Amino acid sequence: MFKFDRKFILGASAAAAVAMLATGCFKSGDAAAPSASNGDNVLTYANGKRVIDGGRYYATVNGKSGPYYVNTDTENGGYTYGRTPTANELEAWNTTVTPWRLPPKGQGTAEEGEAVYEAKCVMCHGDFGSGGGGYPALSKGNAYDNVKTLKFQRVTADAEGPIRVFGNYWPEASTLWWYIMEGMPHPDTRTLTDDEVYALVAYIMNINEMEIDGEEVDYEYVLDQEKFAKIVMPNKDGFEPVIDGANGLENVRAYFADPANFGAQKIASADERCMSNCQKETAKVVPITIEQKEFIPPLSEVRDLPEVENTAGVDLEAKNTYESSCAVCHGAAGMGAPVFGDKKAWAAVVGKGMDTVYANAINGLNAMPPKGGTDLPDDKFKAVVDYMISQSK
Amino acid sequence: MRNEHSQHDAENVSAERRSFFKKTAALSATAIAGAGILSGTRAMAEDDPVIMNTPDWGHKIGYPVTKNRYGMPSPYEHNITRRNAQLLSSGNWQASIAMCPIQDLSGIMTPNGLFFSRCHGGIPTINPNEWRLMIHGLVEKPLVLTLEQLKRYPNVSRIHFVECPANGGPEWRGPQFNSIQFAKGMMSNAEWTGVYLKDILKDLGLKPSAKWMLAEGIDSSHMGRTVPVDKVLDDAMIVWGQNGEALRPEQGYPVRLLLPGWEGNLCVKWLGRLEFAAEPFYAKEETAKYTALKPTGKAIQHFYANEVNSIITNPCPEKPWTDLKKGDLVEIEGLAWSGMGTIEGVDVSFDGGNNWVEAKLKGLVLPKSWTRFSFMYKYEGKPLILASRARDDAGYIQPTIDQETAVMGVESVYHRNGIATWEVTAEGKVNNVQVRS
Repeated sequence: MFKFDRKFILGASAAAAVAMLATGCFKSGDAAAPSASNGDNVLTYANGKRVIDGGRYYATVNGKSGPYYVNTDTENGGYTYGRTPTANELEAWNTTVTPWRLPPKGQGTAEEGEAVYEAKCVMCHGDFGSGGGGYPALSKGNAYDNVKTLKFQRVTADAEGPIRVFGNYWPEASTLWWYIMEGMPHPDTRTLTDDEVYALVAYIMNINEMEIDGEEVDYEYVLDQEKFAKIVMPNKDGFEPVIDGANGLENVRAYFADPANFGAQKIASADERCMSNCQKETAKVVPITIEQKEFIPPLSEVRDLPEVENTAGVDLEAKNTYESSCAVCHGAAGMGAPVFGDKKAWAAVVGKGMDTVYANAINGLNAMPPKGGTDLPDDKFKAVVDYMISQSK
Repeated sequence: MRNEHSQHDAENVSAERRSFFKKTAALSATAIAGAGILSGTRAMAEDDPVIMNTPDWGHKIGYPVTKNRYGMPSPYEHNITRRNAQLLSSGNWQASIAMCPIQDLSGIMTPNGLFFSRCHGGIPTINPNEWRLMIHGLVEKPLVLTLEQLKRYPNVSRIHFVECPANGGPEWRGPQFNSIQFAKGMMSNAEWTGVYLKDILKDLGLKPSAKWMLAEGIDSSHMGRTVPVDKVLDDAMIVWGQNGEALRPEQGYPVRLLLPGWEGNLCVKWLGRLEFAAEPFYAKEETAKYTALKPTGKAIQHFYANEVNSIITNPCPEKPWTDLKKGDLVEIEGLAWSGMGTIEGVDVSFDGGNNWVEAKLKGLVLPKSWTRFSFMYKYEGKPLILASRARDDAGYIQPTIDQETAVMGVESVYHRNGIATWEVTAEGKVNNVQVRS
């Protein structure tokens, strides 16, 4: 996708530059002292631990935190607002599934999952999780093989990049269960049953050619809570720092204390920074080769009066419903739905006869839920259909 | 200027008279369409008609103060908007980002209507009367608050940027956007008003075993992120105010989490639930996304602070120097920011980063906030490769692209803060380029 062949040498200054490794100008490592003048070790909290992100801590000193005045009388607690949640409330909101909190009991097979997938997921995530239209792919083949691609770097135009889909990249299966239950299907979340989620997880594991406890997750495999607990993701150890366990926070603190871990550069004082002849001889100016310029609206610095949108004859209520409820599928190609404004596609729809069109819209069709997931009365929803057709002629 | 409440001394009376005669002249001039010249003078080619003629707004009465109860920008500013690109969208505009027009901002505050916006399940319309915050898990006293109760806590206001860690992320392998809005517009800066989370927790009894906090949204995506207690007990805020008014819906109305300096994605919008636990939660946006894959094949998970960064805003591709003539004195201006501290200084380079000179900081210099820098330059009409390099008070300095990619490779997507460069052509046009080996 990228080509770097249009490189040209930076002008005379670079050509004349003394060969000097840029890294020679900067010292990395956590020994670097902050250049702040107050003398405190400002890279630690009051308890002496390193600031977790590797940055500064601004203690409150003499009623000020950094440049801000602070009313320290507010910091002592004693507030009595609010109330204790009920047991039912806690249960209702705490549906998070984590590596240490299993999903609720239930079960489903990959075969059942495929049926749910075909009904509710395929329009975005593509056949067999192949992705498309900007939506994430769910599989790129065998998860265990694809872990190896994580070292791939697209440094040349024709190089293959790393695959980062659920099977070969995600460290925990709990994330998938949680995300499907809370965030999917995209236009109408929190509508799947526990069994449907188990089935979808089984299906996604199936298309990633994954195993549980040495057993292939085939079409008939019944995934339940007990088996879910045994899932070990192929890339479980592919992440740093190690955040699990008693040393999790300390591992993070240590990690960000060393700039070399995350590509940062530190200097002990401002004097240490390179001011002249800083570049390698090989430094080149790389221009844009493939320019992205599909900006909406197009870039413009012009100061003039805007064109007045002609809304004469447009049902604004229907327009609002379209934008909030229908555009998610009808607004872009690749969703299987006729695209808003596509004259040819809509001519084909209208060709079925308006009675059929209204009936399909009200009762749902393929991936489209009844009335597009709205709860409008029939006549109001017909107006939305009319609006979409009127804007696609 | 006319003095509406003038003392009626002779001078003022005569001034008023002169003004009256001018207006009369202007009105009659308008009446004779186009020939609008004050009587007794002769038109000259150099005369600027907008000076010589009185425009409509100079004599017709304006609209009443009762219009626009909530004020709007001038209609002439209609091109100053957030913008989108399909490339940066996950299929539709409900899982997408709107870029801030930083080329058109002045100072360090972003107007709320231009603040960059990112969402994963569209922007919800939440009834504030039915909003609740639940804090539970490893605390002695779990808590439910209404919005009114939350706002009873003593508030603080802090000026901080919020930046998507993917800001500049499409350009790891080379420049793609000839636009500052798209190259660096996934960020904005505002004054946030809310309460420090540590002040609420004082009364809830955080258990010693609590190491991580889940922050979860109540929108349709229910986005969650894990936050270490270090940040919670440092400067984490629960905010409801943005530049003096309620949060905009795009920013999490009625309430969002604000973790100063950290990934925008961690500053969970439409906040509803905070749960404390001994182990991290492994949310989707800290595993599948927002993890930075290195050439070793290992990815950084829990990558928090946006590192020290800067960009020259003037000139930039949208604000070129094509109107300048040789010898003009022009201000090179830009933004610097660090999620790890306060900006200490910024250098600028005219040769793509081989040689540097120190710029001046200007205005307020605040922790984890946009900071303006400035350098006065005599324009010579020669091609330049302009660059800026910021450093902060935690000791960090912006890496070169080579230094950064040596560690991070080109596939990490997030946290790209390598030195940015603009090519200025002999004609004063400005192009996005990179300097790399």
